[in-house]
Amino acid sequence: MSAAPIFAVIIFVAMFLLIVLDKIERHYVTLGCGVLTLVVVFGICMRSGKAIMDTLAIRNFATKEFWYQVTESESKGINWATILFIAGMMVMVEGMAKAGFFRWLCMKIAYLVKCKTVPIFITFMIMSAVLSMFIDSITVIMFLAAVTIELAQLLKFNPVPMILSEIFCANLGGSATMCGDPPNIIVGTSLGFSFFDFLNNTGVVAGICLVISVFFFYFVFRKELVTEGSGEVDMSKFPKPSEAITNKKDFIVSSIIFGMAVILLITHATTHLTVASIGLFIAAVTLIAAGKDALELLKKVDYKTLVFFIGLFIVVGGLEETGILKYIADFIGDISGGDPMLMIAIILWISAIASAFVDNIPFAATMVPIIQSLSSTAGVDIRTLAWALSIGTDIGGSATPIGASANVVGTSVAAKNGHPIGWGKYCAKLAPATVIVLAVSTVYIFVRYL
Amino acid sequence: MSQLIISVGREFGSGGRVIAEELAKRFQIPIYDRHLITEIAQQTGMSAEEIEKYNEAPKSRIISRRVRGYSNSIEDNIAEMQFKFIYDHAKAGESFVVVGRCSETKLREFDGLVSLFILGDMDAKIKRVMEVYEMDEHHAKEFIIQKDKKRKRYHNYHVQLHWGDSRLYDLCINSSRLGIDGTVDMLENYIKARIGK
Repeated sequence: MSAAPIFAVIIFVAMFLLIVLDKIERHYVTLGCGVLTLVVVFGICMRSGKAIMDTLAIRNFATKEFWYQVTESESKGINWATILFIAGMMVMVEGMAKAGFFRWLCMKIAYLVKCKTVPIFITFMIMSAVLSMFIDSITVIMFLAAVTIELAQLLKFNPVPMILSEIFCANLGGSATMCGDPPNIIVGTSLGFSFFDFLNNTGVVAGICLVISVFFFYFVFRKELVTEGSGEVDMSKFPKPSEAITNKKDFIVSSIIFGMAVILLITHATTHLTVASIGLFIAAVTLIAAGKDALELLKKVDYKTLVFFIGLFIVVGGLEETGILKYIADFIGDISGGDPMLMIAIILWISAIASAFVDNIPFAATMVPIIQSLSSTAGVDIRTLAWALSIGTDIGGSATPIGASANVVGTSVAAKNGHPIGWGKYCAKLAPATVIVLAVSTVYIFVRYL
Repeated sequence: MSQLIISVGREFGSGGRVIAEELAKRFQIPIYDRHLITEIAQQTGMSAEEIEKYNEAPKSRIISRRVRGYSNSIEDNIAEMQFKFIYDHAKAGESFVVVGRCSETKLREFDGLVSLFILGDMDAKIKRVMEVYEMDEHHAKEFIIQKDKKRKRYHNYHVQLHWGDSRLYDLCINSSRLGIDGTVDMLENYIKARIGK
């Protein structure tokens, strides 16, 4: 073996370890490791300017396919479409949050169900899943958990079961669409899938699993959902949903922009606009509408996450260019003996187990080239492998408090309000739910695609 | 100097807490140490015992994760609540003594801050811990090492410079030299000089 793959693996393993150890901020880790990959692996070991250019993928911006795509095409190196789309959605979400959209929506739904605990429990689970189909789960949980705590204080119920169920449903809803969870955006943009490709495949199983989850969580939490006192709710004591709106004009504008984003995403297979175009357009409209507040919105964008993505794609590009990922794909092909059923089970369950403990974004980014290679050598449809990967990485993350971003945000909001959720309390309910949903998903994939 | 905030970092067994209490008495200002636990307990509805378990404790990096400033670690969340508590009180213009909680860094922006670090000779610390906790010499030494290790990890996780590094504090003093009372006298004079400046 030459030096390049060895260094690529060392850099990749070091990056993963440093992310897990959390000693240095993760965007510095991936960016530093990305620079090392460019210099050591591509520059010194491979002496390949082409590998550097392919991985940086700057020229993609100049291609028509990057903005307007008629046929499916696969991308390599830094997935700029993912980065641009996430950045655009971040700007839009900041605008919506500033106008009070999320808090208004939560309060409105609580009002519609007359602030009764069990209906709130069920509707918030569904709302968490539906919102997460279009908006990042961190934002969804940040607002839902905060409103849940507020309602719990007013209605005197324990908010922990509700927050845990919301977290699980946010991750589940994220798996339903291409833009719901970062692994799906990576899978979708890398393999050229559309919003409807996801909705018709992972979306269907997410819908089935949402129904199962609502029943499951109601069954396991029913005793904890009891409200202290008479159970009669005095609605006059609650803050009115309209009070959540900070500025009526901004609220209407941000709601329209959100509606536009949803329509553009749903129709992007017909309009041929790529997610990169949609991200850029939505960000531009939000910033124009924000006027003098545009700079404030831009400042709130989570640049660290965007930098994290750039570094990550370069490191994974190192593994891809040096043939390591093909080697892993061949290994999975060998141990499954070419059996598609076994191959799918391995991808889904290994992705799920890994995502329960490590960040699912680097894992998904690494696995995409692996399933591409596996598909071409073993002859299994890439789509089937992609759905297995998406479901595994998205759902697996629900099993532990550190498996997905929504889990961290939800448990943190709960702890700050006097409801600490340790590993034991979290895993006792959410790990079994994760296993059930993964088992259902495995059966679904076997029945539908094999 | 209208506001006085005395931040007391300390090695375990150095008598730092007792010194902080005495300084609070002499300057007639409240002390936030144990109070930080009961206050957070009242705020959140958690029991004081529950908070005590995570108080000034470092988190386990392997089983915790941080996302956009949010952390699933209960230790992190308790720490942040305590940081917020002391910051809010400082911002409100209150004078107080605070023990530990990375206060020398968290309250650095306040002109009224006097930051102290109390250390001690190992022999003297062992003697003190043996008396206070009724331990034998071996266990007392182990206990000190363990406690200081925990404080160091907690501090160095939450702030950039290292726990006990003299560059972080206005004054570092070995309480074994002058004894507890002598150290308090000396510190009182120093703080008065600072107030008068």
